[in-house]
Amino acid sequence: MASTRSRNGWAIWLTFAIGLLLSVSPMPQFMEVFRPMWLALLLAFWTLAVPGKVGMTTAFLLGLAEDVLYGTLLGQNALILTLITFLVLSLQQRLRMFPMWQQSLVILVIFGIAQLIQLWLSALTGNRLPTLALVWSAVISALLWPWVSFALRGLRHRLHIH
Amino acid sequence: MLVVLSVALMVVDSRFDLLKPVRSQMGLVLMESYWITDLPQRTWQGVAGQFGSRTELIAENEKLKTEALLLQGRLQKLAALTEQNVRLRELLNSSALVNEKVEVAELIGVDPNPFTHRILINKGERDGVFLGQPVLDARGLMGQVVELMPYTSRVLLLTDTTHSIPVQVNRNGLRAIASGTGNPERLELRHVADTADIKEGDLLVSSGMGQRFPAGYPVATVNEVIHDSGQPFAIVRAIPTAALNRSRYMLLVFSDRRTPEERATEAAIAQEEADRQGASHNQVPAAPAPAVPAGAPQQPPGSPSATPAPAAGTAPAQPAAAPAQPRRQ
Repeated sequence: MASTRSRNGWAIWLTFAIGLLLSVSPMPQFMEVFRPMWLALLLAFWTLAVPGKVGMTTAFLLGLAEDVLYGTLLGQNALILTLITFLVLSLQQRLRMFPMWQQSLVILVIFGIAQLIQLWLSALTGNRLPTLALVWSAVISALLWPWVSFALRGLRHRLHIH
Repeated sequence: MLVVLSVALMVVDSRFDLLKPVRSQMGLVLMESYWITDLPQRTWQGVAGQFGSRTELIAENEKLKTEALLLQGRLQKLAALTEQNVRLRELLNSSALVNEKVEVAELIGVDPNPFTHRILINKGERDGVFLGQPVLDARGLMGQVVELMPYTSRVLLLTDTTHSIPVQVNRNGLRAIASGTGNPERLELRHVADTADIKEGDLLVSSGMGQRFPAGYPVATVNEVIHDSGQPFAIVRAIPTAALNRSRYMLLVFSDRRTPEERATEAAIAQEEADRQGASHNQVPAAPAPAVPAGAPQQPPGSPSATPAPAAGTAPAQPAAAPAQPRRQ
């Protein structure tokens, strides 16, 4: 059992690497506002699926990586992702029982809160974002949640990640 | 715990320089992802280059040849004009025009945040890029370097809401400050008096004030001047001349990085040379006044009888090395 666990742990990190790539992939200017929060989606899934492996520390490290990529203050996205993971972990027992659409709703609320904090932090550090358009990405992420969830579940069953 | 840690990190990062090396080392690895996401575009260009048809290539070649001819033609005139400019400046006894060195850099990524205008280029600290370095494209100023990583750096564009650049109207030397608006096609001139002589079509060039951008590079053309009697100032909108969201190749400007003192010393030494030559040719009355800028350590050379040179500050295209101006004896 231990061997399989250590053998397939790389799959999780691979998805995170792809998530990082997706979060900086070029998009048309008008669609930038709608960029989904890929890392947050992946983190939410893996914390629900394998809470023993992926937790707040992972979220923190990934957030730092994202900060470097985006050139924001070191720790800003780390804070956001840690917060998301914390909320998902604390709602974990209930979230697992929910049907997909209800999961999506909860995800929407959690990501929305996170984005509002993001907005607030940006305002605090002087890089003021003009609008609440930031929340759009939370909406898009919530809409993508079922698909991401199904795809990752398939991957997880195929590779027996527990 | 981690929340406290991240808040602490943010405070440290915003207030001190402590985390800069950490960030730049992490950037070394992570910036590869921009390169990877850019890969499809790159391969497409490569494939298009491979299979571009012969006629297309010939047409492009023709076009480039005519363009080169035109530019060469302009350049011939430029050489004469530069020479003339140098001579006139010598007469005025003001500092010589600095010839800036440039290096070509390539765009590798655009900031994913839609509300900031920042780009990543493929030159970094190891290539000699420095903080605050001006970046141009073929048509005008684009912005300045704001973050350094070993092999990449981040450039803040002129149109970012947090960016402003000192400019002057090319036609009459009127100075102003052009601020970004968050719209890639618009700059705004702040606090321009309602009666100021500025109109549509005016070219705005960098004025070299603030010591950040070299003087004389085109920045924007004015496209709208609104006089509203209810407002204290005129509203002036301009379009950047550089293709801020289209250029793929850009130029990094290495202008004079010496301190004003060093520049002054060198100017004084050069002046001394010139004086000595002038003396050996025995053209005493026309000898220019020695340049003794502020902070120059050594004593002025001879020829104290020369007339004081007029201040060069009124010339519209002022060189970057403005501090080395002559002073009255």
